[in-house]
Amino acid sequence: MRFVLYLLMMIAVALGIGFGLSYYALTDGRLFGVAQVGPWHAWPDVGANAPNPYTRGHLARTAAFELGQSEGLQFTATVDSSGLPLSRECSYRIVGNTPLATFWTLVALDEAGVNIAAPDVHPAVRSSRIVRAQDGSIIVNVGKTLQPLNWLEIVGEGPFKLVLTLYDTAAFSGFSSDASMPAIIRGDCA
Amino acid sequence: MIRPLLWLLAGVVLGGVIHIVVILTLPQLAEQSVWRRVAHLDADNQMVILPPVQAGEPNPLGLDPELAYGLCRVDLADGPAYVSGLLPDAFWSVALFDPSGIVTYSTTNRDGIGQTLELGIFNAAQTRLLAQQQIDIAEGLLVVESSSNELLVLVRLAPPHQAMRGRFEQELSEVECGTRS
Repeated sequence: MRFVLYLLMMIAVALGIGFGLSYYALTDGRLFGVAQVGPWHAWPDVGANAPNPYTRGHLARTAAFELGQSEGLQFTATVDSSGLPLSRECSYRIVGNTPLATFWTLVALDEAGVNIAAPDVHPAVRSSRIVRAQDGSIIVNVGKTLQPLNWLEIVGEGPFKLVLTLYDTAAFSGFSSDASMPAIIRGDCA
Repeated sequence: MIRPLLWLLAGVVLGGVIHIVVILTLPQLAEQSVWRRVAHLDADNQMVILPPVQAGEPNPLGLDPELAYGLCRVDLADGPAYVSGLLPDAFWSVALFDPSGIVTYSTTNRDGIGQTLELGIFNAAQTRLLAQQQIDIAEGLLVVESSSNELLVLVRLAPPHQAMRGRFEQELSEVECGTRS
């Protein structure tokens, strides 16, 4: 009787650890394969011609056209700089500097990857189209209510994620130590 | 006391084995791949412009709304593939995807190739013929060796303003892409 009990316990632990760890590792690569800068994370290996097994798993899950290693790198944020999940109830301010790149774009997506920008505005913010501070740093406001300076207007309810795509960048290529990413600061919440 | 701990340890070890098996077999088990997602497009040996991303609509390919995308499918079993054309003066890049969605080669126009895109894609056997000068190629052709015969060629082009998008997409669709035997 006891043997069966132990066996069941072992199987439960094995299944829990085996599948739980796999899900956890691939959800945003918290264990292996991901470069984390503040709230932003990227899979630097995703555009390599021989990605590591975790990146391969991530590729199989997204099944999207990823950027090649020489084309650029995509950063995703699902939390703000204080670690709270991004919510469409709140407004956010993205402040700071981005790594050296020919240009970058910023989009807001829901969990299924659908662009949630307001229907009559540009669906993306692009580095060449924004106003900057004297020192070249950026301030981009994201939210549903009217914001000053650069405003990415979004619609809908629930959680969202921010995707910053750097094109033709030296970040994480091994040639640049510049890995400064902007902070995401939470503002007023409805 | 020791016995339940041993069983627990065995469970953890078995869990680790399951984890490794899951990670390694996931790419083979996945039902969706980028290859299947574009299978309905008539992109064999021709450049097809992917529809632009609209807010509120699904975007399974993960495309950037700012960019124009040209896609072409080639099979090197029919002969070496060539991609050639003149692109507008803006940022563009080329990526080759194998059937499992891995980028096997990528480059940008900043790599000294300016506005002219001249790319020749060869498999291992064709590269050997190339080295023996049994295949004639034009001077200045960017030679890429591919380990896979079936490839997707994706050209990303970034119009500086959305007003230029139509013209840029037109120029992108005029890029020649295909195999020549």
